Amino acid sequence: MSSLQGYVDRRVLLILQDGRAIVGVLAGFDQKSNVVLSDSKERVYSIDEGVEEIPLGLYLVKGDMIVLIGELDEEIDQSVDLSTIRADPIPPIRY
Amino acid sequence: MLIFSVFKTLTDQQVTVELKNDLSITGVLKSVDQFLNIRLDNIKVSDEARHPHMMAVKNCFIRGSVVRYVQLPAEHVDTQLLEDATRREAVSQAKR
Amino acid sequence: MDPSASGIQEPFDLIRLSLSERVFVKLRGDRELTGILHAYDGHMNLILSDVEETIMIVDTEGAPDGQGTVNVAKRRMEMLFVRGDGVILVSPPSRT
Repeated sequence: MSSLQGYVDRRVLLILQDGRAIVGVLAGFDQKSNVVLSDSKERVYSIDEGVEEIPLGLYLVKGDMIVLIGELDEEIDQSVDLSTIRADPIPPIRY
Repeated sequence: MLIFSVFKTLTDQQVTVELKNDLSITGVLKSVDQFLNIRLDNIKVSDEARHPHMMAVKNCFIRGSVVRYVQLPAEHVDTQLLEDATRREAVSQAKR
Repeated sequence: MDPSASGIQEPFDLIRLSLSERVFVKLRGDRELTGILHAYDGHMNLILSDVEETIMIVDTEGAPDGQGTVNVAKRRMEMLFVRGDGVILVSPPSRT
């Protein structure tokens, strides 16, 4: 398994099949890359407004829905003022 | 299995993974598994201005099923070896 | 070895006999490739070199009668892994 082990207890960014971006602390995972995030928030991107963060709390995401899991560099992430970021949402996976 | 082995020989090389959501990510291939899930280090997303979503991400795990292409470093791919291995695998599959 | 084994018995034989030759690949998402085939597996994962990709972009915006225009984007890649789930067809080189 190209393992997610190194990401446990780290703050990660999840990108899902439908284009949603969720950040949270990786609490656990399994063989099928199902993951549990704690203290998670969805980041909603829009071209007209800054990024909106919606608290989701403890979240389980099915492996099939996952596109990518990235380790967040906390220092860089915290230095970014999300309200100034304008961007289209990530496109959904097609087919 | 064959493709999995090819990717294993390319660990620590730079590759560009293009996803089915049109995101293109360049980075150093750190590991791969039998599902062709990929771990990349030191990543850079193409067209960062349009995709600031991953600004703070330095390394990532990509699910194999969402990959469209992987651009490989041609100088590290032995095409003759690949063709021979592919023929061998084709024969062993046919015997089953 | 069965003498017929060198001929074409099943679909994958056609691909096997195209190894190290230029092939045409049609993909989902209005994409087409040509490239030299170096490896494949049972999922139709492919490794190609000297690849030219053609993407057909149908623009229906502002078209009066739903006709729309087709824009074609091309790009070249030196060595490419193509994930099999996007492959619609693989065709051997034309022998004309």
